[in-house]
Amino acid sequence: MFNSQCLPVYAVSLLTRNLRQTEALRTMPSPTTHNETFEQLALPLFASLYNNAFWLTRNQAEAEDLVQETFSKALRAFDSFQPGTNFKAWIFRILRNTFLTTRTGIAASRTVFLEDHPDTLDTAAGVTPEDTLIRLDNQAALHTALEQLHPPLREVLLLCEVEEIKYKDIAVILDVPIGTVMSRISRARRTLRQLLQPQFGKSL
Amino acid sequence: MTQTPQTNRSTEHLNVEKLNAFIDGELPPNEQQGIEQHLTGCHACTLRVLSTTQLKAATARAGHRFAPPPEALARFTAQLRLQPQTRTKKPVRIYSMPSLRPLAWAALGAAILLTVSLFGWRQFHQTNNLAAELLDQHLATLSSGATPQVLSTDRHTVKPWFQGRLPFSFNLPDGVALPPDTTLKGADLTYLNGQPAALLLFTIHKHEVSIFLMQRTGGPILSALPRTRSGFTIHSATTHDLRIVAVSDVNPADLDNLIAALVKAQSPV
Repeated sequence: MFNSQCLPVYAVSLLTRNLRQTEALRTMPSPTTHNETFEQLALPLFASLYNNAFWLTRNQAEAEDLVQETFSKALRAFDSFQPGTNFKAWIFRILRNTFLTTRTGIAASRTVFLEDHPDTLDTAAGVTPEDTLIRLDNQAALHTALEQLHPPLREVLLLCEVEEIKYKDIAVILDVPIGTVMSRISRARRTLRQLLQPQFGKSL
Repeated sequence: MTQTPQTNRSTEHLNVEKLNAFIDGELPPNEQQGIEQHLTGCHACTLRVLSTTQLKAATARAGHRFAPPPEALARFTAQLRLQPQTRTKKPVRIYSMPSLRPLAWAALGAAILLTVSLFGWRQFHQTNNLAAELLDQHLATLSSGATPQVLSTDRHTVKPWFQGRLPFSFNLPDGVALPPDTTLKGADLTYLNGQPAALLLFTIHKHEVSIFLMQRTGGPILSALPRTRSGFTIHSATTHDLRIVAVSDVNPADLDNLIAALVKAQSPV
């Protein structure tokens, strides 16, 4: 079942959810402390956010704009961040929601076709375990394979491998159930492996 | 190999999602140990774990691919510090929506209705006042005795002059990017609707042009501004962060060209 039609609505619902405030009474620190705390949390993530933004937009100027807008929105919404929760997941979610409302993001969401269902074993009949060993020392081949990967699969993989974010937080960023995160990761790795295999032959 | 149910029993092969969760360190300690025990006796699963771990590490290396431009962090930090702190004015915030009682919801509904009905009326008056304010300021620049606070045709002089005077930043197009026979004369710091704004003074074919730049967030809504007032053209545009309003008696098409050049200058190349 393709869910591409639902995505624009999905993007909007993500935004409204993101803006929803769930805090009870909370006293805010002074503006200086408020800003400093934000900078201490956000600035170390700058390179990660930029890298992720570039993978999403595939364009330097757009990536810079996206990160800048993310910072700006995150600072404005910093009151709604609950101390003790995962700031990285919180700001990556803002980045992603911001991306979904850009022209590139809307265009990308229209072309998304993805089945989310639990994966079965990826060792199909007739394939020996040794066949799953592939050469991974060719950086260019990996770059190509990552670029060919379907955006929703690449997205989940980058959050898991590059950003080392936990499944439960990826689920928050992508606004999907944790089971979907798991099945997407499985599918992403399997597809990546399939993309890498033809370049080197099956048994290495 | 046949499909096996998801299980921890050491005699059965690992389900693919379990294997991925194992590699990603997502399993509770007892399941983790169960799998480690299974791997000690299962060559096939050990190879799969090894292969997937290698793939994970290789993906992490390949995924760290795009580094930001070296000066970008400093630029972004500066922009963050310019951002006004609107939210910190209220010391205490109450947002616990589920705890609001029905009476409060009814009051909220009534307030929304009232706000919606007042909004149209207020916007009309606001934009009308704003148009008068814009025109007054433009006329003030036309008087012979008025000299701008910064008198320069150089964008590299004009733009830095606003640093520290405005809670936002903007770009100015260079001479080549300006429409023909359009010159920057100088700039002033001004206020519109009680908000700080940059007033840029240009000439197009000897006609004086006032350009007002203000922050988009919290600024007045410009869509309802009249397009002309007392024979002067008032055109506006918005960029990502800014609202731009131009006032002049020059040909409206020329005025639009200048606005377009300013809008273009706001998006980094």
